[in-house]
Amino acid sequence: MEIENIVEMKGICKSFGGIQALNRVDLELRRGEIMGLVGDNGAGKSTLMKILSGAYQADEGEIYIDGQQAHIHNPQDAFNLGIGMIYQDLALFNNLDVARNIFIGRELVRGPFNFLMDKKRMYKRAEEVIRELRVDIKSPKLNVARMSGGQRQMVACARAIAFQSKVLIMDEPTAALGVTEANKLLGLIRNLKDMGLSILLITQRIPDILAIADRVFVLKGGQRQDILEVGKVTLDDVVTMIVKGKERNGNQAPAIEYKSFG
Amino acid sequence: MDLNQRNLTVRGNTLNIVISNLRKYTVIIVLLALMSLFSLASPYFLTVRNLTNILIQNTYFIIVAIGLAFVMIGGGIDLSVGYQMSLVGVVTAMCMMVYQLPVWLAITVGILLGTVLGLINGLIVTSIRIFPLIATLATATVFQGLSYIISQANTFRGYPEEFLFLTKGKVFGIPFDIILTVVIALGVSFIFTETVFGFRLLALGGNEEASRLAGINTKRMKIAIYTICGFFTAIATMVMISKANTTNSSFGPGTEFIALTAAIVGGISFMGGEGSIQSLIAGVLLLAVLGNGMQLAGWGTYAQFIVRGMILLGAVAFDEYQRNAKRKIRTKG
Repeated sequence: MEIENIVEMKGICKSFGGIQALNRVDLELRRGEIMGLVGDNGAGKSTLMKILSGAYQADEGEIYIDGQQAHIHNPQDAFNLGIGMIYQDLALFNNLDVARNIFIGRELVRGPFNFLMDKKRMYKRAEEVIRELRVDIKSPKLNVARMSGGQRQMVACARAIAFQSKVLIMDEPTAALGVTEANKLLGLIRNLKDMGLSILLITQRIPDILAIADRVFVLKGGQRQDILEVGKVTLDDVVTMIVKGKERNGNQAPAIEYKSFG
Repeated sequence: MDLNQRNLTVRGNTLNIVISNLRKYTVIIVLLALMSLFSLASPYFLTVRNLTNILIQNTYFIIVAIGLAFVMIGGGIDLSVGYQMSLVGVVTAMCMMVYQLPVWLAITVGILLGTVLGLINGLIVTSIRIFPLIATLATATVFQGLSYIISQANTFRGYPEEFLFLTKGKVFGIPFDIILTVVIALGVSFIFTETVFGFRLLALGGNEEASRLAGINTKRMKIAIYTICGFFTAIATMVMISKANTTNSSFGPGTEFIALTAAIVGGISFMGGEGSIQSLIAGVLLLAVLGNGMQLAGWGTYAQFIVRGMILLGAVAFDEYQRNAKRKIRTKG
């Protein structure tokens, strides 16, 4: 059976000032898989994902979603294509409750000109999503400011579920969590996969990736090193590639000097 | 899956919830307390006539504060409203008195001008990306200069009857400007609580970057709120100069201070993302009652400046304290 890639990024380049953050990066995400993105600080993981989510725009390169070329100019475009991103700093609103955090920017509306909020439907749907995710958030009316890091991550996930995103990008979701909460979140990510989402997971914690991901994408110095099948590698293999990069041989792209973007 | 069954419960600390909800009613409680205090101090305070006077004298402050609320809830600030009033006031007066335009046209010109001034503020704040505090301080000075140049420091008085209807006219026995204020308050309250715009306004004030990432056109929203502020400020100007039946370029400046203080006293956070119209109006009335009570108690006008300044300090300090308290709740959770 032919493998269908839900996301294909081809030849992505991005510079900030004189610094080239991404250099002709290709990425293929298969439908329904969890792919880890690893690399040192400044390797370009977040930049690559922010291009996919519309927060940044690539200088060069093409993006295909479901085989169709996509033009992503802003977060709204990505949203419309079914791509949701959970940012490292979470991008939650501390002054708003759970339901409002889920629906911001994509409000359920009513009325003749669609300018009224359909609060009733919004809170009902929020409650359904919370139940669907099987997380214990007591009520969609709770203010997120009073929640733990793990619960806040779950609110961010609920946002993706509510809009039936096809692709979910998570930027270091477990970074600020304790062991219990991190494990719980990893369980949730697996559930999301079972629900049919394709997930891109940026992380520094390699064991997390080995626990739940199908494949690992390694970036170094803004260049793609390799995609590894999780079942076939050890933690050491991944770490070695992050630090040293892939050894260059004939069938690889010509060696280019690595710059540090620390 | 069993990972999911382990519960992460929110610790519903009742006391914290009470504290954070208390704020919604603080102003109203303080207002009532103050009113009872003054009614003890002066037999004239709690008369229908005095209370009606307080309300009538403050309709335009309420309208300005409502305009300012859009900007402040959205996380901005507009210090130029007082000078917008000065400029809009003299232009409207000159349209009627010097150029003999019909009243409806003069009002239209004035309101359009105010809206454009707000739009200018919005464009400057969003395009130059400087602190709105500084940006609007700068435009305030520009508006002031324009106002004096246009009016040539003249005073205009004795408006047409139709214009005076704004404040002297009554509908069903209720002064027209009170009806106008109530309609505006109800309308804006509806916008804040029921519409997508109001919802996004809270989000914008709460976290601008996150709003952008959620696909909201934050730049356009910011321009909109300054423009709306200019629009309401212009309406307030009509009421102000109609009430005084005279205008010169010194009418207006100072309003920004009262509106700002009232907004913060009324629970609209200086940092954005919070606020309601009921509390805002209570905030305006609190300042008004205080001024009136002090007047009746024979404290004079100058002491009021000192008290108002101290109230502003106190309200901002309280606002800051509340935010810190919330942050602590979060880190504990």
